[in-house]
Amino acid sequence: MKTTRWWATALTTGALALTAAACGSSDTTSTPSTTGGAPATGASTGGAPTTAAKTFKVGLVTDIGGLNDKGFNMLANKGLEAAKADLGITGDVKESKAPTDYIPNLQGFAQNGYDMVIAVGFLMADSVAQVAKQYPNVKFAIIDSSAIDFKTNAPVAPNLTGLLFKEQEAGYLVGTLVGAIQKAGGMPGFKTGGSLASVGGIKIPPVDRYIAGFQAGAQAADPGVKMLNGYSGDFAAQAKCKELASSQIGKGADVVFQVAGGCGLGALQAAKDAGVWGIGVDTDQSAVNDHVIASATKKVDAAVHAAIKGLVDGSLGGGTDMVFGLAEDGVGIEGINAAVPQAAKDAVDAAIAAVKAGSVTIPSSVK
Amino acid sequence: MSDRRVRFLTPVVTVVLAFVVGGLVVLASSANPLVVYRSMFVGAGFDWPFHLLPGNPFGVNEMIAASNLQSTLVEATPLVLTGLAVAFAFRCGMFNIGGQGQFWIGSTAAFLCAEHVAQNQLGTWLGVLAGMIAGMVWGAIPGFLKAFRGAHEVITTIMLNWIAIFMVSWLFGLNGPFVGEGNTQPISDTLPDTAWLPTIWGVLQPVTAGLFVALAAAFVYGVILRRTTLGFAVRAVGFNADAARYAGISVRRSMVLAMALSGGFAGLAGSVSVLGTDHRITSLDVFASQLGFTGIAVALLGRNTPLGVVLGALLFAALDAGARNLGGDFSPELARSLATVIQGTIILIVGGEQVVRWAFVRRRRALANEAAG
Repeated sequence: MKTTRWWATALTTGALALTAAACGSSDTTSTPSTTGGAPATGASTGGAPTTAAKTFKVGLVTDIGGLNDKGFNMLANKGLEAAKADLGITGDVKESKAPTDYIPNLQGFAQNGYDMVIAVGFLMADSVAQVAKQYPNVKFAIIDSSAIDFKTNAPVAPNLTGLLFKEQEAGYLVGTLVGAIQKAGGMPGFKTGGSLASVGGIKIPPVDRYIAGFQAGAQAADPGVKMLNGYSGDFAAQAKCKELASSQIGKGADVVFQVAGGCGLGALQAAKDAGVWGIGVDTDQSAVNDHVIASATKKVDAAVHAAIKGLVDGSLGGGTDMVFGLAEDGVGIEGINAAVPQAAKDAVDAAIAAVKAGSVTIPSSVK
Repeated sequence: MSDRRVRFLTPVVTVVLAFVVGGLVVLASSANPLVVYRSMFVGAGFDWPFHLLPGNPFGVNEMIAASNLQSTLVEATPLVLTGLAVAFAFRCGMFNIGGQGQFWIGSTAAFLCAEHVAQNQLGTWLGVLAGMIAGMVWGAIPGFLKAFRGAHEVITTIMLNWIAIFMVSWLFGLNGPFVGEGNTQPISDTLPDTAWLPTIWGVLQPVTAGLFVALAAAFVYGVILRRTTLGFAVRAVGFNADAARYAGISVRRSMVLAMALSGGFAGLAGSVSVLGTDHRITSLDVFASQLGFTGIAVALLGRNTPLGVVLGALLFAALDAGARNLGGDFSPELARSLATVIQGTIILIVGGEQVVRWAFVRRRRALANEAAG
């Protein structure tokens, strides 16, 4: 009895496999226009017009956040799209669902003749280093992680470039803005006398760089202003950031700076509900609601575009980091609300000049 | 049809139906389902055996097919174990939703053992064991609460999941106690390769001895259930706790042990994942991981039998691996979601059927109790 069951199982499994194989072989002869793409066969060639010059192929691998994170994965893809449009490259994206996806996704591009593979996020640091060593003729880049091993101080791989940002400079600008308004006695809808709050997601370096810059900027513009800071422990669940922001507003926060990706949209909602101002992060979030005073932005798209440009013109080496700050137009302040008084905008312009001139030192970690 | 044929055919029909539904989704996105499924079949590396045919008639690229098949097997390994975890508790009439927490407790124990006890093969295998034991302890808690306090295991295992997830994410969070020294990311040190599970096949993300651990666990699962008194007691309690009690079986003991063993399987999944594949723990993965929950679907599809769980895990892993191969005109968001659509449909169909059956049994039991009392 037992043997019959095993036997039957084996038979059906085999039958299933054969069916799949059969439908596989029948399709090799036809070339449908809407191909699902079978890059693993090594025959696929993107789909862009082939010109006399070499058409570079660039692959982008997202981390577990996925393309619709309204954050750095989405921006990285935007940079890739821009490069496709103006640099004449072809590009593909693979989303990762789990850590076990990283190596197969990175390797998949490298195996299939891509010239450059971009990994989005420091979670892929180990994986991209391994794959880069295995495929020395392919260029690799990783966002938010250094190509220099922090222990040995040596490059992780000669064909790997780190794309890093000075988030503290963007934080410094929004801090300056609200600090200046606070000092000047407020503006319509801006209660003063309270504190300036930040809602972090998970306590990781880029988050803390934003917050450290925010605090430094606010203190510089309005010495002695009280700061509040908290972490939701999450980058996705809006309710958590809303709750944290509400409790900060309850403690007298006049402004809430969200540094928590999708989760932080809840913090912006809490600010609107309480009639105080919110500050957006990563992208211009003034469209989220009418209580967003400005956004501290990090132009991952510009960084990706710059790296691909380096690939095309041959200047991209490896084993080094490309760091994007205000001077490189890699971070900034965007979407300043029309109600903001001119004096505060002037303070921001002065801060931009000072940062670019290198005359201020901005801390990169939260005390 | 005989009962056995029904039992065997249901999962097959379920899977076929799910593929049909997935195919409709593909059609709706104006792509050809057959092309997409073929691409997934290749992406899962299932074309690899064909390169062994004389003359390689299908033109399989052996290297790419091999790495695809490896990633399917790598992904299937922990799924077999989390599937067994859920299945074992089911056999005792309990629903262990705590696989996710038990997985991370197991991972942590295994990692710390391999990192601190000995960074060699001895430390690794001790780590595998430590992960299993830690998972058993974490699983025994809801078993104990159910047996002695009557707390429903669905509630307690979910709560314990969060306790485990937040605890482990703190341990390996930024500035956490087990984050590598000088590391500015929320990530542990990477284990030296001397402390990894032995590689069986492949280079970058190879199949490791963890696969054999998982297969051995499936074998042990079958032996425990079929050939031991504990297994008999567990199944008796699962069929009818009152009858089992009347027959002199200690229901409480069976429940605690069943949950402990269930947690042990999930802990083992954590062990082989961290020691075989990840080699490090980061707080962000702790929040993102779904392996424990996917185990529920695998157990349901596999009908709580060892072979069923192994095949179910292989299917789920193949869907994920295959979806990676969808590129070109196929939007990456849809590529990533297609596997989830098919998996979700499977869960819906299997789960629906199981819920009906469960409710039916409950009702029959309630009626019987009424008649008796």
